[in-house]
Amino acid sequence: MIERYNIVNNRYLLKDLGVLKHHLAKYYSVVQIQKDADGEKLWTEQFGDKIEPLFGHNHLPLTSPKGFLFAEKEVLYKFDGETFKTILPQVQPKVMFGVQACDLSAIAYQDKFFEHDPYYQKRRENILLVGIDCESPCVTGFCVQVDAGPHVKDNTADLVLSRLNVDDANGSSEWLVIAATEKGINSIKGMTLDKADNKHLKLRTKLLEKVRSEFVDYSYISNAIEYLNNNSVPAQLWEELSVRCLGCSGCTNLCPTCSCYTTYDVVEQQPEKPVSISREVKLEVTKSETIRCWDSCLFEGFQKEASGHNPSQKAAQRVERFWFHKFSDEYLPEFQRYGCVGCGRCEQTCPGTIGVHSVMKRIDQQCCS
Amino acid sequence: MLQLTPQTIRIVDVYDDGSHARHFTFEPKGFVHDNPISIGQFFMLTLPGVGLAPFTYTSIPDKTGRFNALIRNVGHLTEKLFSLGKGDVLGYNGPFGRGWPVGLIKHKEVLIVAGGCGLAPVAATIDYLINNGYSKSVTLLYATRDSASQVLKKERTRWSSSIKLIETLEVGGDSDHSGLPTQYLSHLLNKDDQYPDIVLTCGPEAMMMAVANSCVDLGLKTSDIWMSIERRMRCGVGLCGHCYVANSYACQQGPTYRYDEYLALESKTVAFEKDKVLFQYC
Amino acid sequence: MSQTQVNSICPFCGVGCGIALVASDNNITAVQPLSKHPISQGKLCAKGWNTPFGINHHDRLTQPLMKVDGEFRVVSWKHALSHIAENLKQFICESGPQSVGLISSARATNEDNYAAQKFARAVLKTNNIDHCARICHSPTVAGLKKTLGSGAMTNSIDDVGKADVILVIGADPTENHAIIGGKIMKAKLRGAKLIVVDPRQTRLAKVADLHLQLNIGTNIALLNGLLNIIFAHGWQNDEFIARRCEGADALKAHVADYTVEKVSVITGVDGADLVKAAKLYSQANAAFLAYGMGITQFVSGTNNVIAVSNLALICGQIGREGTGINPLRGQNNVQGACDMGCLPNVYPDYQSANDEQVRSKFSRAWQTEVARLPGLTSLGMSHQARHGNFRGLLIFGEDPVVTDPDRNKVAQGLRAMDLLVVIELSMTETAKMADIVLPAASFAEKRGTFTNCERRVQLIHKAVSPPGEAKIDWQILSELAKEMGFPELMNWQTSEQVFDEMCKLTDSFSGMSYPRLKQNNGLQWPCNNEYPDGSRCLHSTTFPIGKGKLIPVYHVLTDEVPDAEYPYWFTTMRLHFHYGCGSMTRQSPLLERETPIGLLFIHPQDALDLGLKNHQGVTVSSRRGCVETRIEFSNQVSPGLLSMPYHFKEAPSNFLTNDAMDPITEMPELKVCAVNIIPLPENQPPRSSVLSDAGSRVSQ
Repeated sequence: MIERYNIVNNRYLLKDLGVLKHHLAKYYSVVQIQKDADGEKLWTEQFGDKIEPLFGHNHLPLTSPKGFLFAEKEVLYKFDGETFKTILPQVQPKVMFGVQACDLSAIAYQDKFFEHDPYYQKRRENILLVGIDCESPCVTGFCVQVDAGPHVKDNTADLVLSRLNVDDANGSSEWLVIAATEKGINSIKGMTLDKADNKHLKLRTKLLEKVRSEFVDYSYISNAIEYLNNNSVPAQLWEELSVRCLGCSGCTNLCPTCSCYTTYDVVEQQPEKPVSISREVKLEVTKSETIRCWDSCLFEGFQKEASGHNPSQKAAQRVERFWFHKFSDEYLPEFQRYGCVGCGRCEQTCPGTIGVHSVMKRIDQQCCS
Repeated sequence: MLQLTPQTIRIVDVYDDGSHARHFTFEPKGFVHDNPISIGQFFMLTLPGVGLAPFTYTSIPDKTGRFNALIRNVGHLTEKLFSLGKGDVLGYNGPFGRGWPVGLIKHKEVLIVAGGCGLAPVAATIDYLINNGYSKSVTLLYATRDSASQVLKKERTRWSSSIKLIETLEVGGDSDHSGLPTQYLSHLLNKDDQYPDIVLTCGPEAMMMAVANSCVDLGLKTSDIWMSIERRMRCGVGLCGHCYVANSYACQQGPTYRYDEYLALESKTVAFEKDKVLFQYC
Repeated sequence: MSQTQVNSICPFCGVGCGIALVASDNNITAVQPLSKHPISQGKLCAKGWNTPFGINHHDRLTQPLMKVDGEFRVVSWKHALSHIAENLKQFICESGPQSVGLISSARATNEDNYAAQKFARAVLKTNNIDHCARICHSPTVAGLKKTLGSGAMTNSIDDVGKADVILVIGADPTENHAIIGGKIMKAKLRGAKLIVVDPRQTRLAKVADLHLQLNIGTNIALLNGLLNIIFAHGWQNDEFIARRCEGADALKAHVADYTVEKVSVITGVDGADLVKAAKLYSQANAAFLAYGMGITQFVSGTNNVIAVSNLALICGQIGREGTGINPLRGQNNVQGACDMGCLPNVYPDYQSANDEQVRSKFSRAWQTEVARLPGLTSLGMSHQARHGNFRGLLIFGEDPVVTDPDRNKVAQGLRAMDLLVVIELSMTETAKMADIVLPAASFAEKRGTFTNCERRVQLIHKAVSPPGEAKIDWQILSELAKEMGFPELMNWQTSEQVFDEMCKLTDSFSGMSYPRLKQNNGLQWPCNNEYPDGSRCLHSTTFPIGKGKLIPVYHVLTDEVPDAEYPYWFTTMRLHFHYGCGSMTRQSPLLERETPIGLLFIHPQDALDLGLKNHQGVTVSSRRGCVETRIEFSNQVSPGLLSMPYHFKEAPSNFLTNDAMDPITEMPELKVCAVNIIPLPENQPPRSSVLSDAGSRVSQ
């Protein structure tokens, strides 16, 4: 959880972000968005001198940084034949450099959800979040509609970077750096930075308004959220939409707030033992480990019980469940925000064309007619 | 921080009960329960190398920490569990969730409707009521498919002398006691002197819903009916997401729900027409 | 713990989606979809998302194993390879090169497959080289070779988005080629008309404008019927026929016999729907026709493909963007394995093995004698083995014991061989029967190329090191060639050298190289002087054989039809969540959980008639064998038809399937046979069927 901190005196100006990054690289390994030869953007860990110039700000990678905090796969504990031993992740301090507002809102959401999860928290403690204000809307993003961006929200990052102006002539920029937490303040100790003042903060606000105004009209999303909460979306519409759900799990994997997992056990192989070709799996377990991995509520088996009973047998129930979890007011008391942060990744990855925009449009069209 | 790593327990006794069920007595190994366990809570068993699953306490831990569970062989994990015997070591997490409203049922006319293996989660409640002198006000309606699938024979024999015990069979019962438990309910709840203050039901979900609806039709309030909801739990602590009922997790707000609470949760999501399947007892 | 990402191609179906493999501590921890990939554009199916489970699973083979007294013992590579070489040399010496052979893998790279056929032809001097296309698309290769001259998908996958009519025959793309299935659903949303021809009500059938739910095995009747309607209404493309086709008059006369009424009776499809479909397809600006194994896996497989080709040619629905004939290939590199010549009758790029000029071209290039006699197919090798004429076989990454029809016979064949070598990732059912098992590297552990169904050759990169002593297929073959006395023949150092050698010996690949593949995000063959940037669409001006051939084909009954003894139609299918014999997908706890309780899909009415409850155990039997499993109610199948996924070794559908063959390609009739079902007592669980080491059926 990010502590609120008096930020009045902790804002600075910076010409070259590389300076900040090099400073942080002394204490943290740097994770940032990189573009490969095909133009694909990925969150990538960098080492030593291989620090390349920052790329990104308004370019959201398809894969969110979720996996750096809530790992796709991790060992929870091992059984040594006698007792179970917790295996906490071995982590080095990392700086996530240039996280966009939507992903930061999602991390704040998961911080709450995983507040008491020792594995998540072990990773989280070792991460410094450097947020970056988006300068234009991204293709499928609608952060404005769900109060998650385009500028970094309060209390979601340790350091916030906001580009105040670009000098086209020489390509240089001026950046506002806000140290928003104690961790953030400590991270830039030893750097010599010019202080920013109120006019810079005002400029940031002005720029925010400008970016907000550039978003196209996503009112169908707000409308659909209302219909969803009135429980006025007919079952028939969910049935129709769910025919298109292939159960691929792409939406839940890419969703930065999705947190469901399952566990499975792996028997540790005894390398010195001769290879057995017997078919009977006997319970002569000496050692095993229990691993958790991301799960998806869209899988038919997600709630299927050993008896065969399945409370969410129908694909329509599962599709509805996903959107309930993202947009229901019922979750507001716990999280003070919706589970959707408006990144639009589900729209990009859904093979069945039932990502957030497609679904919300259908709901809006059907329910208003 | 939460502890997801299991503690170890040892199997100290095993015996068969009914056609596909078995009693296990477990003993904690190197730990004691910090908090008292309430009747109707559940725990997770981990079979190293196989996986984990939720089970309910048939009896809560005694002074030595030993407790019982009645387990039905339904799947991969229980099949492996059934291959274990005395002395084998397992992983254990618990207790989890909310139990039966024991405080509310004292001095009340209590009707318990259990189906199949759903008798196990209410067994400790029945023992509690008997041991505390409330047996006169307890009626147990126990419904199964046939006599072979009845469980807890020893316990039922013991109970039959102190509480009113009615057993129905879907197949093979005498004319009064054959068919579904809901059919018997209307018969039972017609007599004013039998009218319960509170109903606890446990069994296949479709049976519990049918029982609850029949009770409401016969004049009970939804807030007087309690049920224990089974879900595919993975963590017991509200993290893994599997046991959702609308915005609640059965592992925390449940597995025991008051019917009106459950209905309120259900009403938050769309009511889909369920494929018509008659319930089968577990 | 540091994390790296390496771009690769999904190892499952023939769509060839882009994935980034995320590795940490030499383990693949996750995959990420690639938004810039030309086909998948940020999407993946459930199998693709679960790739890491298939690669890392804990029972990977890590050392060569040799069976001694019925038990596997660990041996050195040197020992294993020299043992194999000595045996092969002896068999060739005693029984001739016809007594040995290779089965290559549609999951391996082009480089591996090129090496496999080269090893067969130049080292063993045999054309006994085959792979699993035999049981998926060999009729496509044979049929389209006859009518057009080339057996691949004529269009690009994203042409689905350019079509105004999409016709899907005998394919279930949302489950098996999910990203193509998704593109079809998207095209339908945009307004394209969708026609689905399938005996099952597939997901696409549910959203289609027209679902022609034909009786199983009546494809030719239906297609001839459509042709007759088209001719009768004058909906054919006369200009195209005149310019590009031959044989139209004979075909027209032939199909006149297939009246709407007659076809309606045979297929069970309403006549009005046939007319609607004929009109939609023939009158479309661009009609994208896709088909799958619901066309090929019949005794009439090749003729089915010809019937499909006739339809497209008569309507001129070929040779333009958005319209053509598109077989959906099953495995990630089945296209490549065919292209590389892992078929007994062709060298790489479909150069005929019967052509003396071709043989001498390769003989010169390889500087050694090459095989002269015609080769055997995989089933042919198995057949000859049962008759004592085939002695040594190397199988790369395939599990014919599970995936081939009539597995009892397959197992007998393998058992009859003097030496069976299996090169695999893990101990499959087939590997258990081997004399020697060699550990192979998975796709994440090597560099190379895969060719997807739209003929796009795509690079894969090494993300992690192979476990233990596992090696890449082409490396194994290179070393084995040395042991066999050919030190220079296959002495490659990198996969790129293998690829470059192949490109030099072919025309369709002559314009390709690793750097060019990287630059262009893959290239579609033909890529040569004429088409330096590859070919999005085939046959735009002419067919490889000049004019397209219209060949009359007759409706024939399937080899088996239900009778009193075996009263139900039986068909096989695939599930979205599983792939092939399940050796990769079933390692995922998530996908394994998706497996339905019952593996025999039955219409609820049939179940009611038999007094069966959902999930009750049954014995399914055919003339060849029987399997116990549970039933699963499904409205996807019509009454009288039972359907079973083939991924599960506990309930192997191939105990039941018919090995009656398409006479042209030896494609077995996997899609249909006749069965009976007998209920098990209500509480009795089905026994799982596994193959004993001796190859006979045992129950656990």
